[in-house]
Amino acid sequence: MSRLTIRELTKVYATNPAVQDFDLDVAEGEFVSLLGPSGCGKTTTLRCVAGLEIPTRGRISFGDREVTRLPPEKRNIGMVFQSYALFPHMIVAENIAFGLQMRGLSGGEARRRVDAVIDMVQLGGLHERYPRQLSGGQQQRVALARALVVEPALLLLDEPLANLDAKLRDEMRVFIRSLQQRTGITTLYVTHDQAEAMTMSDRIVVMFGGRIHQIGLPQEIYHRPATRDVANFIGQSNLLAGRVVAREDARIAVETAVGLVRCGGPPSFAVGAAGHVMVRPEAIRLVAANSGLVGRITERHFLGNVVNYRVTLANGTMISVQAVGEETCRKGDEVGLVLDEGKAWLLP
Amino acid sequence: MKPKETGIPLGRWLLAVPALALVSVFIATPYLNIVVMSLRSPSNVQAFGPEFTLQNYVRALSDRLYLGLLGDTLLYAAVTVAFSLLLAYPMALHLARTQSRYRGLLYAAVLSPLLTGVVIRCFGWIVLLASQGLVNDGLRQLGLGPVQFLYRPVGVIIALVHVFLPFMILPIVNAIEAIDPRLEEAARTLGASRTTVLLRVILPLSMPGVQSGVILVFVLAASAYVIPMLLGGGRVQTMATVIVQQLLGGFLWPFGAALALVLSATVALLLVAFALVTKRGMRRLA
Repeated sequence: MSRLTIRELTKVYATNPAVQDFDLDVAEGEFVSLLGPSGCGKTTTLRCVAGLEIPTRGRISFGDREVTRLPPEKRNIGMVFQSYALFPHMIVAENIAFGLQMRGLSGGEARRRVDAVIDMVQLGGLHERYPRQLSGGQQQRVALARALVVEPALLLLDEPLANLDAKLRDEMRVFIRSLQQRTGITTLYVTHDQAEAMTMSDRIVVMFGGRIHQIGLPQEIYHRPATRDVANFIGQSNLLAGRVVAREDARIAVETAVGLVRCGGPPSFAVGAAGHVMVRPEAIRLVAANSGLVGRITERHFLGNVVNYRVTLANGTMISVQAVGEETCRKGDEVGLVLDEGKAWLLP
Repeated sequence: MKPKETGIPLGRWLLAVPALALVSVFIATPYLNIVVMSLRSPSNVQAFGPEFTLQNYVRALSDRLYLGLLGDTLLYAAVTVAFSLLLAYPMALHLARTQSRYRGLLYAAVLSPLLTGVVIRCFGWIVLLASQGLVNDGLRQLGLGPVQFLYRPVGVIIALVHVFLPFMILPIVNAIEAIDPRLEEAARTLGASRTTVLLRVILPLSMPGVQSGVILVFVLAASAYVIPMLLGGGRVQTMATVIVQQLLGGFLWPFGAALALVLSATVALLLVAFALVTKRGMRRLA
């Protein structure tokens, strides 16, 4: 178990920077996700931490030990790959014991630890199977067991759930998170799936184009995104361009296409500054057409538990609204919109 | 592989007709011809006499001379296999994993022994390996020479290894390319050094390629004629050179045919034994 410190990490391929000036501190036992679209540099960052890539610049430390240029086998890490990368010529028990053998551990002690970790990932009775005789979910558990059995300083997971079907993915999310909390192992998790990052992580690092856009708690990332990219990537959002007209204590008054909005925002915005007000679709209520902002429903999508509407205002602005419960409005209806200003947030 | 439950449609059989015709006309028929010939009595005026006899096989399998020749032939083939495997594996490893832009050039270099005719290549080796040749000049400079290469098995084996090396390299390259590089990375993260990864992951997973290469080179080396003929200069005898002597020199077609079949059968038996021995290991990879 150890802290992870990354300072000014930069990795350049040929002339393309894949990761630039990446700074991150992960506390002991913390679960941090690197979230972003493909090509944002999250996997490159993870591979640098694993030692599978050597950074062009920057420093990586586990606790007080600098590991930046150490080969992977000297780092004491556990890594789970998207393809699981189980050894096809070894049975489950041999796959799991591999890391122990590399540490000079064999015989009874190794067998005891393999059995213990097989119980932990609930694979009892599958010791003698070859990976190809296992389902995707079982292979995933073997990969986890193989990484955990060596009691690594750091657990690294590279999109481990991407190859599972939706139902199994939800199960494994909960499973991995509870396993991580039970073992208290410091974990770095790479995913492009925002729901995965939200449900599993203590903190989330959102990346675009090789740079960190925001590091924060899942709630912060969702309700107080730092950039428009973050707001758009995490859930749905309405972004209204506007200009700050006044600051009142914690609230910021912003003049937008839908009128004056009193929203929250970072302290960096001065009066006169341009920005965007983000309003989540579920922070807007549909009311009768005689109050609020008046518009017409141009799209309606029924998703079961919620209904998504697109409302076009008189000035042409399109607003997404999400309503819970039974559907009361139809396409073409004239409706009023009420924004929950407490949940609106100003960003650049 | 599972057998198909439904029959193969007629159209597919029709597509196979040209291949089947080729195989039956150019392989099955000559083979049958040789089998029949090996059972005939010898004749001075024709290819073979009128009677049927087992005498050719009795002679081939009881004469110390021919059994010794068979042993020598198989030994040269085995040594050729061993040296080609030793030379081929590192090359295959590099070729399979290199990112170099000269990759195509490297492939061409691997195939280069096959680009010239066998006779030309043999004369090349004769020039190089002669007692006044480049190799011996070099050895003399180092105080190690001269070494008699020509007209001895060592010269024959050098040339055999050279020409059959591509048949060892290419199957192994294919096998290594089929190994997911993530497996190597996973092993590294679990604490394995590069050497351990090679021994515990790459080597076992590339065994199907090694198996193919060993079989190909062994069969080719055991039946090689021109190379032992030219580099052995008549003083290195193998089954192939002796069979040709029987046919052309002795005009003993039935006995030559019997010798050829003894060689084929022995090689086939050895391959079956090899396949059985390696099967257990291969099953793990299936």
